[in-house]
Amino acid sequence: MTAADIEQSKKRKLASRDDLLPTETSNFSAPKQSLEMLSDDEGSDDAVSDDGQVDDFPEIDAASDSDTGGEKDTDEEDSGGTDEEDFLAEDSDDSLDRDIFPKPKTIISDITGQPKRVYPEIEPDYDSDSSTEDAPNRVGDVPMHWYDDLPHVGYDMDGKKVLRPARGDELDRFLQTVEDPSAWTSAFDKTAQMDKPLSAEELDIIRRLYANEVPDAGYDPYEPMTEWFTGKGKEEVMPLSAAPEPKRRWVPSKWEKQKVMKIVRAIRQGRIISSKPKTASKQEFYPIWSEPSTSHPPPLPAPKPRLPTNSESYNPPEEYLPTEAERAAWEALDPEDRERDYLPKKHASLRLVPAYDRFIKDRFNRQLDLYLAPRIQRVKLNIDPSTLIPKLPSPQSLKPFPNYKSLKFAHSMRTRCISVSPDGAWVVSGDEGGMVSLWEVNVGREVKRWKFETKIGALEWCPRVDVCYFVVGIEETLHFIIPPNLPSSVLLLTQSILAPTALPPAPETPSLVKWVTPPTSSWSPDMAILTVQLPQSSGLPKQIAWHRRGDYMATVSSGGPQGGVWMHQITRRHSQAPFKKIRGAVQLVLFHPLKPHFFVATQQYVRIYNLSEQKLLKTLTPGIKWISSMDVHPSGDHLIVGGYDRKLCWFDLELSDKPYKILRYHTRAIRSLAFHPTYPLFASSSDDGAIQVFHSRVYNDLMTDPLIVPLKILRGHTVKEGLGVLQVKWCARQPWLVSGGADGTVSLWCS
Amino acid sequence: MASSSHPAVFTTQTPYPLPPQMFMIPTTWSRYQLSQLVNKALSLAKPVPFDFLLRGDILKSSLADWCTQNAVGEEETLEIEYIESVLPPQKMSNHPHDDWVSSVSCQFEQRFLTASYDGQMRAFDYSQNQTWSSSLHGAAITSFCVVPSSSSDFHLIATASHDLTAQLSQVSLESAHKTKPLVSFHLHTAPLSGVTSNSAGSQILTASWDALIGLWDTLVPEVDEVPEPPAGDRRKRRKVEGLKPKRKAPLIVLKSHTARVSGALFNDDKTAYSCGFDSTVRSWDLEHGVCTNTITSSEKPFLSLSLAPSSAPSTLLASSTDRTVSQYDFREPYALSSLTLTHPATPSCVVRSPTHSHQILSGAYDGVARIWDLRSVKGATPVASFKAWEGDKKVLGVDWGVRGIVGVAGEGGLGVWKVGESSSPV
Repeated sequence: MTAADIEQSKKRKLASRDDLLPTETSNFSAPKQSLEMLSDDEGSDDAVSDDGQVDDFPEIDAASDSDTGGEKDTDEEDSGGTDEEDFLAEDSDDSLDRDIFPKPKTIISDITGQPKRVYPEIEPDYDSDSSTEDAPNRVGDVPMHWYDDLPHVGYDMDGKKVLRPARGDELDRFLQTVEDPSAWTSAFDKTAQMDKPLSAEELDIIRRLYANEVPDAGYDPYEPMTEWFTGKGKEEVMPLSAAPEPKRRWVPSKWEKQKVMKIVRAIRQGRIISSKPKTASKQEFYPIWSEPSTSHPPPLPAPKPRLPTNSESYNPPEEYLPTEAERAAWEALDPEDRERDYLPKKHASLRLVPAYDRFIKDRFNRQLDLYLAPRIQRVKLNIDPSTLIPKLPSPQSLKPFPNYKSLKFAHSMRTRCISVSPDGAWVVSGDEGGMVSLWEVNVGREVKRWKFETKIGALEWCPRVDVCYFVVGIEETLHFIIPPNLPSSVLLLTQSILAPTALPPAPETPSLVKWVTPPTSSWSPDMAILTVQLPQSSGLPKQIAWHRRGDYMATVSSGGPQGGVWMHQITRRHSQAPFKKIRGAVQLVLFHPLKPHFFVATQQYVRIYNLSEQKLLKTLTPGIKWISSMDVHPSGDHLIVGGYDRKLCWFDLELSDKPYKILRYHTRAIRSLAFHPTYPLFASSSDDGAIQVFHSRVYNDLMTDPLIVPLKILRGHTVKEGLGVLQVKWCARQPWLVSGGADGTVSLWCS
Repeated sequence: MASSSHPAVFTTQTPYPLPPQMFMIPTTWSRYQLSQLVNKALSLAKPVPFDFLLRGDILKSSLADWCTQNAVGEEETLEIEYIESVLPPQKMSNHPHDDWVSSVSCQFEQRFLTASYDGQMRAFDYSQNQTWSSSLHGAAITSFCVVPSSSSDFHLIATASHDLTAQLSQVSLESAHKTKPLVSFHLHTAPLSGVTSNSAGSQILTASWDALIGLWDTLVPEVDEVPEPPAGDRRKRRKVEGLKPKRKAPLIVLKSHTARVSGALFNDDKTAYSCGFDSTVRSWDLEHGVCTNTITSSEKPFLSLSLAPSSAPSTLLASSTDRTVSQYDFREPYALSSLTLTHPATPSCVVRSPTHSHQILSGAYDGVARIWDLRSVKGATPVASFKAWEGDKKVLGVDWGVRGIVGVAGEGGLGVWKVGESSSPV
C-alpha cells in the first residue's frame, strides 16, 4: 500500500461523508479543488502552460478569479469520485518532486519588452496555512485528552461530531506497518487521532536537520553579491561635503600634547616604570652532557630467578627424595619457614609429570619481588641520636663550680660594674646612681661606700698584691681610691705610688689628660687620692683594663678622639692615646696576660696589636654583629668573645682568626664574660637573667682541643627593663662568682 | 594488713631506760604512739616526749612507711633508740641593732653580749634593755670571746676586728667608764676572722685572713712589744678614747694554712684546732707551734669551727660554703667526714650545746637556726629549726648558753630563743 493509496482511502472516507451532505458539498469542496489547482499551477512552472489565465493576468488578478476558474474546472471535471481521486493521486505524486518554495518564471514583459521574473501569487486562503489543511476536526487547539472518554474527537465545521477513527488492535497496526512501506514516514496526528504520513517537505526538513544543513531548502548561503555603490562605473568622484578641511586635522593637538607631556613627566619622575623587556625566549634545549654524571651507582639489575637444581628434576636420584619424617616435618612447617618450597618427587617418565600446580603462585611471587624490591642501593643512616651528642664528662665530675646563690648585696639602682680584689676577699660594686660600695665577699657586709655625682661606668681593682687600690671611672674622670683597713706597709706603698712626693718628670709632649692629686693635708678615706681627668667630651669610661703588672691601665671611653682608648701609666703619671686613628667604634680592650699584646675589640672585629713592635698582629673575625664582651684565658692562648647577638666565640689564638667554637646558649644578648684566673672555669652572663658556667680545660698539648663543658645555669637575677646580668667576675682563689644585675643586686654564687 | 605488727627492742641513753624486752609494735604507729608507749611503760609522773631513731634516722612517719622506705622485712627485729625530743624553740626577745651583729655571747648571767659591725660591743639584759655599749674598734668587730678571769669586778673580753688587730679589753658591764682596752695584738696584715681563749684564760688564739694564726698570752706588757708604725698611719692613731692599749706581739705564729683561716680554737692548753678556706682542718701543737695533723677535704672552704658535744670528744664540727656541716675526728688515721649535715643555705656558724651531749646548733644565711642531733645521722634533717627574723636576713653568729638560752646574731640584730627546756644535764 503506498502513501497515495492511504490518501485515496482517506479521500474516500471524506467523500462518503460529504455524500451525507450533498447540498453543501459543492460549496465546501471548492477550496479543496482550488488547492489542488494551485498546486497544479505550481507544478507547471517552467512550462509556459496552456493556462492562459495565468499568463494573462499574473499580477493584477485577484485570487478569486483563478479560484473561480479552478472551481469551474473542477466542476467540469468532477464527474466521478474515482476520477477525482485518481487525479488527486496524480497530483500528489506530482507535488512530491515540486519545490516547497515557488520558483520565479522569466517572461518577456509586454510593456517593456524586457525579460522579467514572475512569481506565482501567494493566495492568502486556506492553502497558505498548512495547519488548516483538510482538517475536518475544528475543535481548535485544545488538549485532546479531553476527548479521551468520548466516542468523538471533536467537531467539524458544521458542528457535527467527528468520530474517532477506528484504530484497530496492535496486531492490525503491526500488520499495517509491515504492509505499508510508508509507515515509517508517518506520524501520529493527535487532532485526527490517526497516523498521517509526513509530507515530502517535512521529510526534507528532517533530512536536512540530520545532515546539519540549513533546514530551509530555499535558502542559498552563497548568493551572488549585488553591487549597489561600488564596481565599475559607480565610483564616486565628488566629495560628499565641499567644506574646507578643518584646521584640527593638520595642526598638532594641544590637548594631546598635554596628555603626552603628562606621561613624559611621569616617566621622567619615575612614576611610570616601563615594564621590563621580556627576556629572550627561554632556551628550550640544554646540553644534557654538560653536567657530570651522578655519583650514584646505577640501579642494580633485577636478580635472576633461581635455576632448578637436581632435586627439582622430575626423576631425581633416590637420595634427594624425602623420607616420611622429612615430609612430615616439611608439612608441619609454615610455608614461610620452609627451607625450600617444594618436595622432590619421582616420576617414572616425563609423561607422567602432572601439571605444575604452583605456577601462578611462582609467577606472582616473582613479579612481586621485581615490583617491591627496590633496585637502588640505599645507604641507610642508622644512627643512634645519643651517639651524636659529644661525649662530655658529667658536671658532677668537674666540681667545684658555683652552683648556688650564697648571698646577695642590694644596690638601689642597676649595678653595671663590679670588681673583686686580687686576694678575692673584697668586692667593689658601682651602680648607676653613682654609689660605690666596698663589701666583704663572704659575709656581704658593706664596709664603706663612696658617692659620686654621675653614674659609674667602670670599676677595676689594681692587680698588684703589694698595693691596694681600685679605680672608679665616672664621666670623663678616673678616681683612684684606697680601701680602708690596710696594713700600714701596704698603705704607705700605695700612697707613695699614687701620690709620690717627687712627681716624675713631665713628658715632652703634654698630654690631654691631667693627673691631679689633692694636697696631703686634705686626704681622707672618702676621697680619691688621685684623679685623672680625661679630655673633654670623652664621655663615660666604659671599661678599665689593667696590665697584669699593675702599672699600665687602659680605659675605653664612649666618646672622644682615637676611639676613646687611653693608656695610663701609673708610675710615670702619664696618659697617651695608643692609636692615632682606629677603624670602628672600640668596644673593649684587653692586655695579653703574658705577652706585650693588646686586644682591641671593635663592633665586629678583634684586633691584636703588638705593643712593643707597634704593629697589628692579627684580626679576628668572630662573625658577631656587635661584640659586647671579651676575655682572655689566663694562659693567653685563648680568647672568648661574646656578642649582643647571643653568640659566644672561642678563639684559639694559635690556630686561626676564625672561632674554634661558637656557642649559642643564651636566649638574649650576652653582657659579660669572665675566665677564672686559676680554675678551669668561665662564666657568661646575659640579658635573659641567667649566668652560665662552663668548664674550659685547656691542654698544654697543642694537639688536644680545649674541652668546653656547660656546667650550670645560675638563675636568680630578675630581668628589669630588658636588662639581665650586666657583669660577672670571679673571686680569685675560690670558685666563686660575683654577678651584678640590672635589678640592683650583686650576688655571690658559691660552690 | 592493718593489724600487722613489728618486733622491736628499745634502747636509750636517756635516764629513762626500759627493761630489755621485745615489743610487738603495730606498724601503723608513729612517733606519738611510741612516745606514749614508753611513757606508759615507765609510768612517768610527768610525760616526757620522745623521738625515735631507727638506724640513725629520726622516725617522722609511721613505722610501716619507714619499713617500706628502707626495705626492712617484717620479721626483722628493729632496734629503736629513743631520745628526748626537742620542744619547739620559743622566742624570748629580739634586740634590734643599728648594724649587723657578728657575734654573740650568752656566757654571762642575765646578760647578752654582742659585737657589731660598727665596731661596738653592746650588752643587753633579759628585759631587752641595752645596759652597756662601748666602741672598742674603729672597724667592724668580727668575733669576740670572753676571757675567763679571776677578777669579779671586771670581765676580760678579747675582740677581733677588721682593723687588723685583736684587742683585750677590761670591761665592766655596769658602767661604760670602766671599759679599758688593755692590750692590742699586732701580727696580722689582713682582717681577723676569729678570736678564742682557752678555758684558763691564759692564752688567746687569733685567726686571720692572711692565713696566720697567732697565739698570745693575756698578760699585759709594761711596754709596747711592737713598735708604733711610722707617722702617717692615721688609722692606728685614732684609737678609741685615747686610751692607748699596749701593743703586743704573739708568742707563736702558727703558719701552715695557705688561705684565710676562718676559725681557731683550743682543745686543751697544749693543742688547738683551726680551719680555713684552703679546705683543711688542722690540729696544732701549741708548745712547738707546729701543725700536727691535717685533714684535707676537697673544695670545702670552711667558715666556722666548733668542738663537737661531749658525746663525741675530740671531734670537730666545721661548716663550709658547700652548704654542709661536717664532723671530723682526728683520732682516726685517715680522717674523713663521718657526718654531713646538709643545709639549704650557707651555714655561717656552728656551736655545740653546752649541756646536751648530742645536740649542735647551726645558723645559716637563710636566717634559720637549726638544731641537730648527732645521733640522727642519716636523714640529715634538723630536729628543730627556727627562723630568727622575717625575711632573708643572714645569721652570722650563734651561741648556746646554759639553760637552753640561744642567742642568734646576724643581719637582724640579736634574737634570743629558748630551746629544750626539758632537756636534762647528763
